[in-house]
Amino acid sequence: MSLLKIIDLHKAYGNEEVLKGINLEVNQGEIISIIGSSGSGKSTLLRSINYLERPSSGEILFHDKNYFQTQKAIQKLRTKITMVFQSFYLFENLTVIENIMLAPKKVLKQNKTFLREKALKTLDKVGMKEFQNKAPKHLSGGQKQRVAIARALMMDPEIILFDEPTSALDPEMVGEVLEVMKKLARSGITMLIVTHEMDFARELSDKVIFMNEGIVYESGTPEELFLKPKNKRTLEFLKRVSH
Amino acid sequence: MRSVLKKVFWFALAFGIIVQIFPRSNALEPETNSTDNLVIQEAIDNIRFYSSYNYQTLTVDKLNRLTADFYLPVNYSDVSITYSIESDYLLINDETETITLRTGDIEVIKVEVIDLPSVLKGEQAFVINATFNYQGDSFTKVYYGQIIPVIPDSFLGGSIYTIVTYGKMFFEGAILTLGISLVGTIAGFILALFLATSRLIKVTEQDNKLMSLIKIFFNKFSAIYITIFRGTPMIVQASFFWYGFGLFGDPLLCGLFVVSLNTAAYIAEIIRGGIQSIDKGQTEAAFSVGLNYSQTMLFVIFPQAIKNAMPAIGNEFVINIKDTAVLSVIGIFELFNQAKKITGMHYRQLEAYAIVALIYLFLTYTVSAILKYIEKKMDMKPVDLVSSN
Ligand SMILES: Nc1ncnc2c1ncn2[C@@H]1O[C@H](COP(=O)(O)OP(=O)(O)OP(=O)(O)O)[C@@H](O)[C@H]1O
Ligand SMILES: [Mg+2]
Repeated sequence: MSLLKIIDLHKAYGNEEVLKGINLEVNQGEIISIIGSSGSGKSTLLRSINYLERPSSGEILFHDKNYFQTQKAIQKLRTKITMVFQSFYLFENLTVIENIMLAPKKVLKQNKTFLREKALKTLDKVGMKEFQNKAPKHLSGGQKQRVAIARALMMDPEIILFDEPTSALDPEMVGEVLEVMKKLARSGITMLIVTHEMDFARELSDKVIFMNEGIVYESGTPEELFLKPKNKRTLEFLKRVSH
Repeated sequence: MRSVLKKVFWFALAFGIIVQIFPRSNALEPETNSTDNLVIQEAIDNIRFYSSYNYQTLTVDKLNRLTADFYLPVNYSDVSITYSIESDYLLINDETETITLRTGDIEVIKVEVIDLPSVLKGEQAFVINATFNYQGDSFTKVYYGQIIPVIPDSFLGGSIYTIVTYGKMFFEGAILTLGISLVGTIAGFILALFLATSRLIKVTEQDNKLMSLIKIFFNKFSAIYITIFRGTPMIVQASFFWYGFGLFGDPLLCGLFVVSLNTAAYIAEIIRGGIQSIDKGQTEAAFSVGLNYSQTMLFVIFPQAIKNAMPAIGNEFVINIKDTAVLSVIGIFELFNQAKKITGMHYRQLEAYAIVALIYLFLTYTVSAILKYIEKKMDMKPVDLVSSN
């Protein structure tokens, strides 16, 4: 049984179809990288999984269950599948520790002392413990993204979705975020990562998906996809991004 | 030089307020004394003093508010009367003269007001000793009166006079204006939270029929409300609720009500702008970790939107300080109406309105400065919002 199963997913904005029938299976503990050129629908796919977008048709099954029924169910699903955004989107009105404690406090209604301990542990994991009382605007991009990852972790999700987590960062900060993600990957959590960091995808992923014009154009292990791509388009894309 | 002037101004204002707040001794009661001589008693009972202005009779009350020369009769039928006055401000003429009253001519002596006390000195009491003589018999009666300052002709003197004399009224008016503005802004803000939220709710696919109807109702209601209150002058709104309905049976409550309702419409638009200026990513990030719509609004969006909107909301407070002047139309004695009342009391417009303008300026400037300081302290970044009337 797969953890997440996407069946013939379509999404259109008006007349423009962005996702044209996505089929995808994600197993427990898998690290999946999604690559593809700009506008190919990578973000839309991730956002659909988190129900930030409403699919036009098709099904998304989590533990074989379709959650897109009621608002309550959607919220429940979001506690199990959290997301990290390209632009971090830390809550500007809250400090670092408040940022990561808000959702578990309000949604999971967890005990305060327990939560505090957990928050500090999580911040420690992403190397941001000493910044716990800082306001987001006083952090660098890399620090913000690490806090955002901590925020996503705090819900004890089964899957974390990453939408180009390093694309908005200055080059010297990319490393620290990737380090945190590598550490996470080793901890056994399931991750779906949209990325332009090919080396990272290659090193870390169990599976790489190449998206093109709204469909999963090619997928396979990193070796298969990066070294022996079956399609011309895939090869062209890889050539384009490799320098 | 400017700082000296400033000091003088503040000193004068403070002094005026103190003089106004601490009551001074009132004019003394007229003495009830009498004599056994019936002829003299009759004279005492019937003689009158006359003002030099139209020969009006000076009653006890008027004797206590003297500002101009007056006449004292030197006889009443066969009783002759002599006078002495204890005062630095009055001088008795020695020569008798004749004045013509409606009842006939009488012999009088004139008492001149040689100097009016300054407004800072306040009223000055004086004593008139009138000695009645009849056939070798004599009796002295004591009259008490007060001479009061009048408004000087010069602008500066007139202004100081106005401040000192009516300082308390200005002060009360300013307090009322500040109070109405503050309460109106706070009440308006609370109401505006509701209006702005209603204005932004959208019907989603998960809503059932009833829920959709409720949402549409609130949305339309707040849209219409905002249009009406921003589209009509507050002076009309105040008249409508007070003269139209006599709302609450009290103009002050009615005025507070109108200011709150009016301010709410403006602040609602400010808050709506504030909410819309928050990056959509904030909402999505909140959703993506499982927060629902109201939690997201309450804990993430509102705090940011309100913080950003705070400078504009503070500005509404400053605007209210000025705009509550229209409440004079429904008979609330806020600052402007006090000034109007004062001009009606001494028929000099310029000084009162100049002073009231200065007080408004002082209030708005000070409140703005305080708000700026708070903004800086709280590190608010203002959003560019057009607002206000
Ligand atoms: N809200 C929207 N309304 C209309 N069109 C949209 C909307 N969101 C995305 N699109 C369009 O859908 C297409 C796919 O967008 P998407 O963001 O999924 O691409 P992407 O693969 O993530 O690209 P990138 O690498 O630039 O992030 C684009 O052509 C985009 O213009
Ligand atoms: Mg994208």
